[in-house]
Amino acid sequence: MATQEQIRLLAATGCIGYGFTETALDTAVARGLDVIAADAGSSDPGPYYLGEGKPFVSLRATERDLRLLIRAARKLNVPLIIGSAGGGGGVPHVALTRAIIEKIAAEEKLSFRLAVINAEPPRDLIVERLRAGRIAPLWPAPVLDEATVTDATRIVAMMGAAPLQKAIADGADVVLAGRCSDSALYAAVPLARGFDPGLAWHLGKTIECGGAIVRPKTGQDCVIGTLRQDHFEIEPAHPDKRCTPESVAAHTMYENPSPYEVLEPSGLVDTRASQYEALDARRVRVHGSVFRHADRYTVKLEGVSLCGYRAVFTAGIRDPILIRHIDAFTAQIIDRVQGEAVSLGIDPASYTLTVRRYGLDAVLGPRETATDTPHEIGLMLDVVAATPDDAATVLAKARYAAMHTEFEGRLCTAGNLAVPFAPSDAAVGRAYRFSVWHTMELDDPMEIFPIEYVDVAGA
Amino acid sequence: MAILGSYAQTLRSKNAGAFVLTIDVIFRSEADYQRIVQSPLLTAERIAALYSVAPGDVQVIPYPQVHAVKVTLPRAMPSGDIGDTDVYGAQQHVPLMLLEVDELSAG
Repeated sequence: MATQEQIRLLAATGCIGYGFTETALDTAVARGLDVIAADAGSSDPGPYYLGEGKPFVSLRATERDLRLLIRAARKLNVPLIIGSAGGGGGVPHVALTRAIIEKIAAEEKLSFRLAVINAEPPRDLIVERLRAGRIAPLWPAPVLDEATVTDATRIVAMMGAAPLQKAIADGADVVLAGRCSDSALYAAVPLARGFDPGLAWHLGKTIECGGAIVRPKTGQDCVIGTLRQDHFEIEPAHPDKRCTPESVAAHTMYENPSPYEVLEPSGLVDTRASQYEALDARRVRVHGSVFRHADRYTVKLEGVSLCGYRAVFTAGIRDPILIRHIDAFTAQIIDRVQGEAVSLGIDPASYTLTVRRYGLDAVLGPRETATDTPHEIGLMLDVVAATPDDAATVLAKARYAAMHTEFEGRLCTAGNLAVPFAPSDAAVGRAYRFSVWHTMELDDPMEIFPIEYVDVAGA
Repeated sequence: MAILGSYAQTLRSKNAGAFVLTIDVIFRSEADYQRIVQSPLLTAERIAALYSVAPGDVQVIPYPQVHAVKVTLPRAMPSGDIGDTDVYGAQQHVPLMLLEVDELSAG
């Protein structure tokens, strides 16, 4: 029932704030587009940004990317869809991105209809679904309990295509979505216009990381996806760049547990029968992808809980005698600090002191197999405690212990560490952990994604 | 002694969500891919031992379209948890990269 032959989508960048070239955007705009979209978030940078309500890219870079995309979308009069706003896609992330969009509209004298879709479900609804047995862990996360839901700092739900489709059907020119499936940003309009769901979703998954499928890999850039009835085509927007069947096929496996299945709220994309062929040196055609509808509509929940306050100290160790005794030295720091903490009224069970030994085993930990003795070790003392003051107090004791602890054969009795600058101890702020990583059934794909429409009047 | 990394054009690790690590090995050639996939080198047991996880938690998925093998396993702890060493999981490919593949040279 498709009413058009093809639909052309632009994936502007893998993440708003990571950038793209103006050459690529201008080339794509000159070609003509039906939709411009970009993801703005990820859980990869860790739990802090979701908990804190802060972006992991700079506001200046976000504003630069959004300004160019809003101008382009308004020039062509096509929808601009932004997903996982502000990184985490929570209410504060959406709000700060909305403020940037409104600032751009005023400065550029542009008027348009903005749809703002939040993605933080009410906690009582999550508890109700949990009691009803309609929340399941995403392997290998533990089974969820009510206290975790209640105590979490923030829980977002990843929306599918339906809220985006509703916003566009209601006349939105710019859709600003909280946490959202990356692929849905691109699948939403084609699905609404009757294109094949297997191809629409697979196209979305293929271009959602923007320039990741483009060679040469010189940073993020725009990718054009053209969807037709029985295939889609991928090409870089930048005239000097190329996509290959290998670069496109390899992306289906990227950051995904399986190369053949991509999970979405309404089902899964099955790429076992997908064929990837080069149309020329820079364009790839894909067909054969299949969408398998799920029995139940589920959204992914991502949530974080506060685990304390972090303070860190970094210094260098060069003394070869100390490096030979680094394990005993490490154990002694931890042991001495426990005693000092008790003397200051801090329960050792209330904080963690992680001694990171860069150059030795800080990256692989117990999985490290290298046995060479390094000539230098970067020592990081990482404290997470119940209050900022506890963290600073424990860290100061740990620094003193590391600087002055005895070790076998010690000659450097004036100090064990090269401290690169002062102040040496840095308060990092709150520390969070991912505590919710589950799927929740919805009665309706729109159930927890309220849309607010704003007529932005910059003109 | 050859290592698995010397047969790869891409050998990368990354989070697949906050609780899972996924490692992609894209081989330099179809022939290398076939020899590795048909050898007992990349078994769940062997990879489980490298990464200190249970063999039942390791998936090894051949992906012939790009002569690649994907390995998926649980992270030692969720991304960014206290004591985590690699929030993005981007340097956890190394134990697999350094896996010795001497038996292949005979193949």
